[in-house]
Amino acid sequence: MHNNKKILPFLYLMPTGILLTIFMIIPIIYTFYLSFFDWNLIAPTKDFVGMRNYIEVFTDPVNQKVLMNTFFYIILLLVLNFIVPYVISLVVKFFIKRMQGAYKIIFFIPSLFSLVVGAMIFSWLLNPVSGPVAFLFRESGFVLPNWTNSGGLAIIVICLITNWKVFGYNFILLLTGLGSIPKNIVDATTVDRIPKWRMIWNIVLPMNKSIAIYVLILTIVQGLQYVFTPINVITTGGPYYGSSNVLYHTYLNAFVLYKTGNASALAITTFLIFLVLLYLEIKFVEGRSRYE
Amino acid sequence: MSNKKNALWHLPLIIIGIIALLPVIFMISNSFKTLQESYQSILSVIPNKPTIDNYTTLNHQVNLVRLVWNTFFMATLVTVGKLFTGLLAAYAFRYYQFKHKNLIYLLFVATIFVPFTIVMIPNYLVIAKLNLLNSVIGVALPQLCDATGIMIFLKTMEKIPGSLFDSLKIDNIPNRRIFFNIVLPILKPSIISVGAMFFINSWNEYVWPTLILKDKSSFTLPLALQNYISSEGGTNFPLAMALSSIMIVVPLIIYLIFQRYILNSISNSGLK
Repeated sequence: MHNNKKILPFLYLMPTGILLTIFMIIPIIYTFYLSFFDWNLIAPTKDFVGMRNYIEVFTDPVNQKVLMNTFFYIILLLVLNFIVPYVISLVVKFFIKRMQGAYKIIFFIPSLFSLVVGAMIFSWLLNPVSGPVAFLFRESGFVLPNWTNSGGLAIIVICLITNWKVFGYNFILLLTGLGSIPKNIVDATTVDRIPKWRMIWNIVLPMNKSIAIYVLILTIVQGLQYVFTPINVITTGGPYYGSSNVLYHTYLNAFVLYKTGNASALAITTFLIFLVLLYLEIKFVEGRSRYE
Repeated sequence: MSNKKNALWHLPLIIIGIIALLPVIFMISNSFKTLQESYQSILSVIPNKPTIDNYTTLNHQVNLVRLVWNTFFMATLVTVGKLFTGLLAAYAFRYYQFKHKNLIYLLFVATIFVPFTIVMIPNYLVIAKLNLLNSVIGVALPQLCDATGIMIFLKTMEKIPGSLFDSLKIDNIPNRRIFFNIVLPILKPSIISVGAMFFINSWNEYVWPTLILKDKSSFTLPLALQNYISSEGGTNFPLAMALSSIMIVVPLIIYLIFQRYILNSISNSGLK
């Protein structure tokens, strides 16, 4: 009986454990191993090249461009998918009295749909030549810039498409966080005639810090993976890698150019960036050990 | 005065609501237009002469039943797998003390931070070795567990007092009965909502399936749709919109039925 009790929890953890070992832990180690080789995914032999793939990650001009793009993506995603929904959730929580439920239901609807659908509709609507937005621009005497020819503008459009999908989800997460702030604290500031923006800045934001950081981290980690779909559907990373990011470039190296070693080194680099975010998550969100 | 101020705050919210819904309305309405009409008045909401031609044409060009079945089968496999592994793992974390519990839990949470690019090459090679390329089973296999599910289930289980569990243990009530008669009924709302989200996400999945499914007969809906943007469909916009409309029906129905559960469970996933 006593023995049984010791084994049982591990028995319950086993399905997840086995799957994670086969499809996550071993693959991470294997990708790390591959990052030191020159290989094309098919050939029977791999050539050991030491650190060359890693040196290329930071010295190759295309890789440098892609890393810079990734940085631009992160900034845009933070603004569009974190700051904007946060501001809107504050508005819904503290500045209006009715329809909160309706906004929640409606804002969430786009997150039900595939990004392939979103990418297709928006690339059509925003088509610089034949799209209706370009038409409206012409009618009113403006010209819609040809964003497909400019990496920077393409990145903005791709982030806006992702924003369409993710906005509602992040909005609801942040709104829930605000809901857990004790009502009497908010009421007390109203009685004392403290302006709302000060109440928000001095009380609400600090109290909501842990969930905000959670959403912020999620925005970067998931956002960089979400943009993969519109990139692949609309620009395939172009023009000249101008709208590619480090994840898309990894895919391109691995499955289009068959440069497995380069792809692996890029993947490991991405993982290192994400590990920094994981550290922040453990420090600020998971808090001190839950199960001691 | 206060009312006017209030109305002003609603303005940005209403605009966001319109931006959220407009593409969907636009998509459904264009799927009922002729190619010519969609060229001439792509933005009009109500088609002049509504037609279901796009849907019948689509049915001739692709095997719709097969596409829906592939997508449904894949999403069901993934959902059942994630629920099963997640419930068991959460149960272990909640009701047992064991060595390195905290570390193992953090390891599970850490999996959220693993970019898919780092596992995609080895997993592709494994699925190819197993001869599961062009099979939705090959797509589902590496995704049968999910840390978010474990986190949400754990959160719900924490509402069941530990003392209740202890007294059941003293009375020698077998684990199987505790799990099925007590834990599962309490978890039912979470299971419904988490399951619905797993299903919807898998239904829409795009990146990993594009690597595994190359043969058209094995395609899921997002892959078939992508085909319509580039080669086959060319510039036939209403046709692509018809396929998109078919694709969103299932997630939309699930959401309309379980909307309250779904919104609640998202809330729980973020709260610590």
